Amino acid sequence: MTLTPTPGTVDPLQLVAAVDQAATAAELLRATQTLAAAANDAAPAEVIACLVGILGFNNPGAAVAAVDGLIAIGAEAVAPLLSGLDEHNYGARAWAVRALAGIGDVRGLELLEQALGNDIGPSVRRAAARGLGALRLDALPQETRLAVRERCLSALEGSRGDGEWVVRYAVAVAVESLCAPLAAGDPLQQRARLSLQALCGPDEDTDVVRLRAEAALRRLEA
Amino acid sequence: MAGADDAPLTGAGEPISEQEALRRMRQQDDLSLQYYAAWWLGRMRSHHPEAVPLLLAALQRRSEPSPADSGVDRGAVARNAARALGKLEDARAVPELLAVLADGDDGLREAAARALGELRAEAAVTPLCQRLAGGPAVAGAPQENSPRLREPCEALIEALGDIGSADAAVLAVIEPFLDHDRPLIRSAAARALLQLTGEQRWGALLVELLGHSQLQVRRAALMDLGAVGWRPALEPIQRTLAENSLKLIALRGLVERGQGDPDTDTLLHAMDALL
Repeated sequence: MTLTPTPGTVDPLQLVAAVDQAATAAELLRATQTLAAAANDAAPAEVIACLVGILGFNNPGAAVAAVDGLIAIGAEAVAPLLSGLDEHNYGARAWAVRALAGIGDVRGLELLEQALGNDIGPSVRRAAARGLGALRLDALPQETRLAVRERCLSALEGSRGDGEWVVRYAVAVAVESLCAPLAAGDPLQQRARLSLQALCGPDEDTDVVRLRAEAALRRLEA
Repeated sequence: MAGADDAPLTGAGEPISEQEALRRMRQQDDLSLQYYAAWWLGRMRSHHPEAVPLLLAALQRRSEPSPADSGVDRGAVARNAARALGKLEDARAVPELLAVLADGDDGLREAAARALGELRAEAAVTPLCQRLAGGPAVAGAPQENSPRLREPCEALIEALGDIGSADAAVLAVIEPFLDHDRPLIRSAAARALLQLTGEQRWGALLVELLGHSQLQVRRAALMDLGAVGWRPALEPIQRTLAENSLKLIALRGLVERGQGDPDTDTLLHAMDALL
């Protein structure tokens, strides 16, 4: 059987070819933006592989677009992202963690925990923290949901004292989003508030972190 | 069990204690250990009473011959010491840093200028202006056979902005650098003038540089807008093509140093979206 592209739509494989043929950083950026804008949950494997590859090209603009495309693709991109991790390419790993954080698939949990606790790159830890606050838990069975939320909170609590302000900032954001759906009396909510109180307490020397933790506390207590 | 003071000198790059850093500063045999220790004392913002005197001693020894086989010379140690002194908020460092502003090593002059800016040293305004007085054609001319300028103009100009003395004479020294042919120097001039005068046109110039074709220039404009905390730059910062890490640093500056619109909640919301 021959597949004929619907009139008015572009063959995604042609968009992949345009990325492969890009000769300059500007061409790569444009081709990636076009490919990413066309990406959705039905994207073929070639598109996913191409977007994952772009994360390693050291072109921040193209990587931003590729991450957006991978997030639009969603669950189908998780396995290629996890198997495509290159431990020697720090930039690519940061973008992959960011993509997994944006997709919010629980299969990324372990990678996000490891990245937050151990990665040497502050931008990787920052993306991991944000991701741990944004996993999609609604579709999980209740017991799993509770266990995953507890693991996320424990990982975030462990990084409250991270040496980089931007990671502590991301921890405040993630603790808020993780625990916003919980009832006021929930033990995890109480733990969340303790973390946020620490992040706006006297030991926190970065004003913007304190301001963000205060905002989170205000909203959780509203 | 041996106390921390009995521990052997370990190699650079490993986590060390404050006592270890001070001991590395005191010893004179291996300058690479001093080099790392000087950086460490600044990075950790050491409040130990010996930190500033030891860093000053390293600055004063900048012209002495370096021991053989160090891999690092006294000039490099002095540069790290100057950078650290900029972070330690101790006015005792100012006279020696002023002396270093006349050193023959332009890299050391650069580190001293930045440190004096961080220390808000009013006494530095006149010597900083003197080094820039020739304008773009003299102070801002490239050195022969080097990409560096005769004076570290970017650091000198930014220090004037950080110190905050808005005399007409200071503004007159900075303004010619708005026409320098290197965009990083133009960015530094716009940043300093925005800090000193608060005039919108200098903020608009920095925003224009956020659209520059070179990533390096966009990065500099981001850092400069953050250093000033110019809040009207929020949307251009969000739009520019650069790493989120740098945008977050810039937006932190808008939150902590800026005022007015957009308000703090809007800025925090924008930061959340960049994580």
